[in-house]
Amino acid sequence: MIARSLRWRLLLAAAAAILVALAIAWAFMTLLFERHLERRLEADMTRDALALIASLRLDARGAPALAVEPSDPRLQTPAGGYYWQVSNAAGTLRSRSLWDSALRVPADVPATRWRLAARRGLFGQDVRVLERSLILESDRPPLRVQFAQDAAPLSTARAEFGRELALFLAGLWGVLLAAAWLQVLLGLRPLARMRGDLSALAEHADARLPPANLREVQPLVDAINALADARHKDLMQARRRAADLAHGLKTPLSALSAQSRRAREAGAVAAADGMDRAVAAIGLVVEGELARTRVQRMGEVRGAVTRLRDVVERVANVLEHTQKGEAIAFDVDVPANLMLPIVEEHLAELLGALLENATRHARRRVQVRGDCGEGWTRLAIEDDGEGMSPERRAAFNAVDARADQVGETGGLGLVIARDLAIAGGARLDLQAALLGGLRAEVCWMNRARTG
Amino acid sequence: MRCLVVEDEPDIRADLAQALRAAGFVVDAVADGESAWYQGDVEDYDAAVLDLGLPKLDGLTVLRRWRAAGRAFPVIVVSARGDWTEKVEGIESGADDYLSKPFQLGELVARVRGLVRRGAGKLLPVIGIGRLRLDTVRMTATLDGVPVRTSPLEFRLLDYLAHQSGRAVSAGELAEHLYGAAESGDTNAIEAIVARLRRKFGSELIQTRRGFGYLLEGA
Repeated sequence: MIARSLRWRLLLAAAAAILVALAIAWAFMTLLFERHLERRLEADMTRDALALIASLRLDARGAPALAVEPSDPRLQTPAGGYYWQVSNAAGTLRSRSLWDSALRVPADVPATRWRLAARRGLFGQDVRVLERSLILESDRPPLRVQFAQDAAPLSTARAEFGRELALFLAGLWGVLLAAAWLQVLLGLRPLARMRGDLSALAEHADARLPPANLREVQPLVDAINALADARHKDLMQARRRAADLAHGLKTPLSALSAQSRRAREAGAVAAADGMDRAVAAIGLVVEGELARTRVQRMGEVRGAVTRLRDVVERVANVLEHTQKGEAIAFDVDVPANLMLPIVEEHLAELLGALLENATRHARRRVQVRGDCGEGWTRLAIEDDGEGMSPERRAAFNAVDARADQVGETGGLGLVIARDLAIAGGARLDLQAALLGGLRAEVCWMNRARTG
Repeated sequence: MRCLVVEDEPDIRADLAQALRAAGFVVDAVADGESAWYQGDVEDYDAAVLDLGLPKLDGLTVLRRWRAAGRAFPVIVVSARGDWTEKVEGIESGADDYLSKPFQLGELVARVRGLVRRGAGKLLPVIGIGRLRLDTVRMTATLDGVPVRTSPLEFRLLDYLAHQSGRAVSAGELAEHLYGAAESGDTNAIEAIVARLRRKFGSELIQTRRGFGYLLEGA
């Protein structure tokens, strides 16, 4: 989940980057602190060394002698951690703290400056040694003045500083992580807003994303809108092609029917019958193809909420104006608050096919009943006609039934209706009607809604 | 009887004109929407056959313009497109009937005759009962001046009740009037029609007199 989350990726990257930066800062600041301590140490030892040099003289043999010893108590305590030593070829003076040890005197002690060096070995401890060479009297050999101090206090101070700094930086890491989380949250907010806008885009084919407030997001918005435009254009072209196909084929079919009538009037009855059969067959194929186009359209357009009763009433109103329908009583009892998440024109196609079929077979009456329950909506259309045999109903209710298996006249309308119902997330079943004819029951599962 | 035929396909237009002339109509035939709008606007026709897929001006627009201009002659809409949204739009735009292509010419001629017959021979074109007004020529109903959509069957039932001068009419008599003498025993359809009319006009419009039948009160 984390690998697929942009938010987590950004947060993890920020956490790692901040951690590395703080670790480098910790190492660098600890080093600076250590160097600061060493400079302080060098300054302290230099001050003591200068005080010692001030009371230094040479005796008659040329050996170093001291008028006043430095007063630091550590210098008086054996292995006290602070040491001094003055030596030349004639003799050596050293602090009491050195006991019976001695500071090693390197051959290259500088004569012009103090040098601080790290040494190991004095009483088994690391020490920092400050040393230089100097000439008290020009005709006497040079003196090597050395001050040494245990490095342990330095290491302890550095460790304590490093530990406290690490704690502080860990806290800072937490604060920076919180800031990074806030930054990621704010940074991704335009995407969250776009997700809402995209939902609207999915719900309505004509919807487009609004202009973005952020300059960086606008190219993405433009690209998505361009894609939506292209898809909408394709959809419109497909619809136009379907309409053109219908007009292009059905109008010549009408002309062919007229030719057939003229042929029949001229006495060519057999030829007219053949033409009528051909026209009927082509018409069947055209209606089937148009129905499939409508099914595809139903799949492409989502969203919308349609009041079921309004569509039933409008379709019934059309049928009441047809030759057969004007003598039929349409008994509609559908709750006014029954809503379906289907585009109205697609629901009209489904109900049109079912009501037209019922009207064609009804004697006087078509009854439409709608109801709903938890997660389902049902619409039942009954007629008082002759109905359909149980065998034909069973054939239709079988999954792969074709028009020719349920009768040529009414079968196509019902097969179209079933395709439309399936595409709209519903199921169509044929049953025997209480009125005596056929009952077509459409049930939408998990799509019920009242409003 | 004058009839206007509007169809862009020459063969169908010629056949329609020929069939209607054979049925006794005087026929004017035009091939595009603009000509149809002009003809229907300036000439008096008893009926029109209007194709929806027309060049220059589509059939639905022509129909809306005729109705907006007060041209009330009955119109049969014919179309190659079979989608129900267009059928609904056609009827709601003022069409009186609808036929999908391909159709039988005999059926179309019968429909035109039926529409013309509805508007003919009416001595009282508008009947008023209380808040209800019935235009027996246009077969339209209004309640307090607001049009209420009715089916031909519903209108015929209302029309029959309106002509009974306050007399209660039994369901059997209504069935006989609507369906013929052979069907007078079956009154279920009458109850369904009355129920729909009550939903459309309010429950007070048609009163039930127990033992006698239905009475139009005019709400």
